[in-house]
Amino acid sequence: MAILQVENLHKSYGKNEVLRGISFSMEEGEVLSIIGSSGSGKTTTLRCLTQLEHADSGIITVAGKRVFDPVGGMKLTKEEQRFNQLQFGMVFQQFNLFPQYTVLENVTLASKLHAKERGDYKANKKQIISEIEERAYDLLSRVGLSEKTGSYPCQLSGGQQQRVAIARALAMQPKILCFDEPTSALDPELTGEVLKVISSLAEQHTTMIIVTHEMSFARDVSDRILFMEKGQIAGDGTPEYVFGEGATDRMKAFIGAVANG
Amino acid sequence: MFWSVTLDLLKGFGMTLELFALTLLFALPLGLIICFGTMNRLGFTVRGKRICPISSLCKVFVWIIRGTPLMLQLIVIYYGPGLIGIGLLPRLTAVLIAFAINYACYFSEIYRGGIESIPQGQYEAGQVLGMTKSQTFFHVVLLQVIKRIVPPMGNEIITLVKDTSLARVIAVYEIIWTAQSYAKMHGLIWPMFYTGAFYLIFSALLTFLFGRLEKKLSYFKA
Ligand SMILES: Nc1ncnc2c1ncn2[C@@H]1O[C@H](COP(=O)(O)OP(=O)(O)OP(=O)(O)O)[C@@H](O)[C@H]1O
Ligand SMILES: [Mg+2]
Repeated sequence: MAILQVENLHKSYGKNEVLRGISFSMEEGEVLSIIGSSGSGKTTTLRCLTQLEHADSGIITVAGKRVFDPVGGMKLTKEEQRFNQLQFGMVFQQFNLFPQYTVLENVTLASKLHAKERGDYKANKKQIISEIEERAYDLLSRVGLSEKTGSYPCQLSGGQQQRVAIARALAMQPKILCFDEPTSALDPELTGEVLKVISSLAEQHTTMIIVTHEMSFARDVSDRILFMEKGQIAGDGTPEYVFGEGATDRMKAFIGAVANG
Repeated sequence: MFWSVTLDLLKGFGMTLELFALTLLFALPLGLIICFGTMNRLGFTVRGKRICPISSLCKVFVWIIRGTPLMLQLIVIYYGPGLIGIGLLPRLTAVLIAFAINYACYFSEIYRGGIESIPQGQYEAGQVLGMTKSQTFFHVVLLQVIKRIVPPMGNEIITLVKDTSLARVIAVYEIIWTAQSYAKMHGLIWPMFYTGAFYLIFSALLTFLFGRLEKKLSYFKA
């Protein structure tokens, strides 16, 4: 069964039709990269998946459960919406860490707030908190930041901040982790450390959707690549296929443009 | 003589402080209400243009209050009700109403600036982590807003200390009024100069407190 199925997603801003029928599905453990020129709708696709943006129509199904279907008359309570949202993790281009919290607190904040809503919170408070923190330490060591748990975001480099953001997203144990150009806001010498973390997640079969302009990275890390153009999927297949025999003229022009900076 | 003047001025300054404290007590929350009013998106769309009556109303109100002198507002609130036959408000009440409304409008703009300066990404990060809107506001956004508004609020609040002296135009016996009565009745002008020391000491205290607060919040950048 597909972990994620997206059917015919449409989204317009006013008269500007940004998504014109996006459909794809992915399996658990798959790494899917979305590439395409600026304005083709990559960010909008991710934002519709993560419910930051409300698509006009389309169906999103996660692990067999329909989470979004506005035309089908699907109405969700706020609770259900939040639950569905947590199926997806999101790593932003601009990190969006919480500046007033330490690295550890950034990773644990949401879990702690969720824990307070649990019925057994009062009784097992100490244990619940220590479990949350233990998991956070564990995640932070996976992204190579064990030394920085007490630092504030402003004391970290961009690459370190983005790795915290990855740990923070992982802490919610999302079924699918989404990245929107995770290295675009970084100095070139800092992109490597972030890409390495994402590669290691790929090796551990974390299900991921990665929007990126790093072509060689997309090629290496992805099981599958979507090439987007003008709000549609214009190429879909393994990296070998999309970059090779499946490459349309548009795709070739796009890759040429990216390669030439 | 010096001591009796000092004691008298202290009494006057007591009234100054009372005006100051009560104005803050009312203006701080009222400012928040006006701020939410101006940011309210409730309304309708006409030919692609969004019209938000609550917001527009609040903005016009803020414009009027910020665009006219506090002195004038004070006089309108004190003498206005008499003109339409309601009768005068007690002096202190009139002063407090005028001050609270005036400062609330200035505060509301500071609050609004602070809230609007928080990047959308902070709200979105909270949302994708499954936090509710109020959790995001109280646990993520609020402290960042406070950090940003502390310096302008400090300025505004120190201005308020000095603005309290306007109350004397409707004969509220604050410190300047007390000093003035020395000039009128005893021909003494130095008590008036002396009042400066009271203001200076108090605003130095406030400056110090706001400096401490700013420093306390300087551990993070936002
Ligand atoms: N909030 C919005 N309001 C109006 N138009 C928007 C909004 N967000 C995106 N758009 C428009 O939607 C189109 C697609 O934007 P999107 O950000 O999805 O592109 P992208 O593929 O991520 O591009 P890039 O590579 O530059 O990040 C663009 O034309 C953009 O101007
Ligand atoms: Mg984008």
